[in-house]
Amino acid sequence: MDLRFTPEQERFRSEVRAWIGANLARPWSQEVREPGHDADSLVEVRRAWQKKLHAAGYLGMGWPPEWGGRGASAVEEAILHEELYRADAPQVPNFLGLSLLAPALIHHGSEAQRRRFIPKMLDGSEIWCQGFSEPGAGSDLASLRTRATPDGDDFRIHGQKVWTTFGPWADWIFVLARTDPDDRYGGISFFLVPIHQPGVEMRGIRQITGETEFGEVFFDGALAKREHLVGQLGEGWKIAMTVLGYERGASALQYPAENDRFLAALVAGLGEEGALAREDVREKLGRLFVENEVMRGNGLRVLATLEAGQAPGPESSIEKIFWSEYAKRLQDTAQELLGPRAQLDARSPRARPDADWAYQYLWSRAGTIYSGSSEVQRNIIAKRVLRLPTR
Amino acid sequence: MQFTLDEDRALLQRSTRELLEKEGALETSRRVMEETPEGFSRSLHAQLGELGYLGVLLPEREGGLGAIAFAVVLHEMGRVALPGPFLEVALAVRLLAGCDGDAAKRWRAKTAAGEALVVIARSESLASADPAAVEATCRGGRLRGTKHFVPFGAQADALLIETREGIALVERAAAGWDATPLPTLDPAQRFAEIRLDGPPTLVAEGERAADLLAENERLGALGAAALLLGLMERSLETAVGYLQERQAFGAPIASFQALQHRAADCVLQTESTRSAVYRAAAAEEQGGADPALLAAVAKAWAGPAARLVCGEAIQLHGGVGFTWEYDPHLYLKRAKTLELFYGSTRSQLERVLRAKLAS
Repeated sequence: MDLRFTPEQERFRSEVRAWIGANLARPWSQEVREPGHDADSLVEVRRAWQKKLHAAGYLGMGWPPEWGGRGASAVEEAILHEELYRADAPQVPNFLGLSLLAPALIHHGSEAQRRRFIPKMLDGSEIWCQGFSEPGAGSDLASLRTRATPDGDDFRIHGQKVWTTFGPWADWIFVLARTDPDDRYGGISFFLVPIHQPGVEMRGIRQITGETEFGEVFFDGALAKREHLVGQLGEGWKIAMTVLGYERGASALQYPAENDRFLAALVAGLGEEGALAREDVREKLGRLFVENEVMRGNGLRVLATLEAGQAPGPESSIEKIFWSEYAKRLQDTAQELLGPRAQLDARSPRARPDADWAYQYLWSRAGTIYSGSSEVQRNIIAKRVLRLPTR
Repeated sequence: MQFTLDEDRALLQRSTRELLEKEGALETSRRVMEETPEGFSRSLHAQLGELGYLGVLLPEREGGLGAIAFAVVLHEMGRVALPGPFLEVALAVRLLAGCDGDAAKRWRAKTAAGEALVVIARSESLASADPAAVEATCRGGRLRGTKHFVPFGAQADALLIETREGIALVERAAAGWDATPLPTLDPAQRFAEIRLDGPPTLVAEGERAADLLAENERLGALGAAALLLGLMERSLETAVGYLQERQAFGAPIASFQALQHRAADCVLQTESTRSAVYRAAAAEEQGGADPALLAAVAKAWAGPAARLVCGEAIQLHGGVGFTWEYDPHLYLKRAKTLELFYGSTRSQLERVLRAKLAS
């Protein structure tokens, strides 16, 4: 039982913190309020930030050196993300490519695919989006119906994907498509598909936040070349499930770090309103601090489990439910305690300067739905941890 | 980083579980709780003394085993909802080890060996057991005051009393005291109201006393959180076992999603408590993080978590969960009492908030 970082890990943290201090112009919550920005220019800010991170060697740190990695441990990746969230750095536009597709290519792709796609994914010159979910296949992903049919050596894609984050700015999409209608899991294959071609239509989806960060993609005979099939035909489900597992670890400490920022902003706001002495306020704040600290403990445990060479078991579903449900409690509490000022648009001169509470409140509704809803995570816990039977 | 127990402590966990399965099984404990006025097994307590458990919090050179071992033992005791003053005595032994004088030394040895029972008496309120300014005084060779909710106070051979002047040791043989039992909803815990008017020995004063009491609060919170972890872990196991056994509508009720999701929430609560308890124990033993903050976090989390999980265990059992015969109620009762002691949830939230606002 030992949850301390080593001196090397602490040195790495200092290095990252100093680098962010020298390279991050302003926190994201301030960046979005800069006059003149629109959705497109904000994507360019993110792309530029990704280039900087890449140049400094902070992207894909856990990958093998030939693909730009340094064989970093899960702990170092977690420290990097913790520091990035602590500093409120922009999210890189290729985060889905980097966290899902690149590991798929490294472990299951061809040498030619790795050479062609990984460098441009890293430097941000090509942006990737993820084509897994469909209107009729969200939490029940294996029921997906988008199909890929042979056309000579190549394939033609027909169907629809949805919730493609950064889709409106993407150049490529990695797609799970059905190549055998009769085999639920073994009939799914993994394709890399260029977006800018006939037969692909990307439409933005406006979210409850007012932004259009998601898209839906319609495929009507779009071309997927044979050389852009990842792994073998019918291996798509297996590849997708292994890469979804790689999401674990790196995020172990990032949410508590982000919450620390929100909590500090909440405390500052309440302090200014003279509300910190109120007993109801103190109890609610205390609870939020306690829960965030418990979440950090869970994260440290995930890292310790990974360091011992074991795959996290119940921990990743617990982590997912915990951070996403906590975000809703935190934002609900902030709205309740800070009052109407917390509902102001961030660009209003009267808005609190340290957090975009109105946006964050709305955004917190997404976390318990995406990446496996809280209900799906509970199913996973019931099935894999408690071994309860399904009907 | 490592989240598993090392070999020594894994061995301690196994041997403690074996001992408790043999000597502290719930069937036996039920008999002890219902049939003896003391509410706990003197022979098991003596055995815990002989085996060195009661001195778990002593410095290592005096037989102590460290905070992680302390958590392991209490975690196991929680699993069997063990009645009796183990946590109370381990804390008293630790406090005595920090006190001056021959009396403290003598009582420490006897208490750690399981030959005498010494507990700490602090609270003077019926409405809260949290640390607060005390009225008890220790002047002119007499200790005067009334303490509430003194754990096993009617059975103790000596008491460590928080007074305005410091911590005083009062021996029953020399001073005597009036003890009024305060039976609560938890049959595993025997509280008493103690009225004192007799000769004390001051064993710690001023800053020293304050430090010892702060340490006592920190370790008490950690120990109570570990007990709560054991209570909820076993409650969940029992409930899941019942779900798999019980049939309704032609299927095991474990296959119903409504029940599965309740059980999954209990997993989240229990596993998060495990992380919090052992993180706090490791910080206490190894440093690297603030042990006072983390003990408060563990206790503030574990209280409501255990209340939820032990309550859900009753719900998941349905009607039989409400019977005296089935075990879930024993766990809920222990959890409910523990939540209010060793720093109530409310007081621990405030403690965490203060620490966070100061940093």
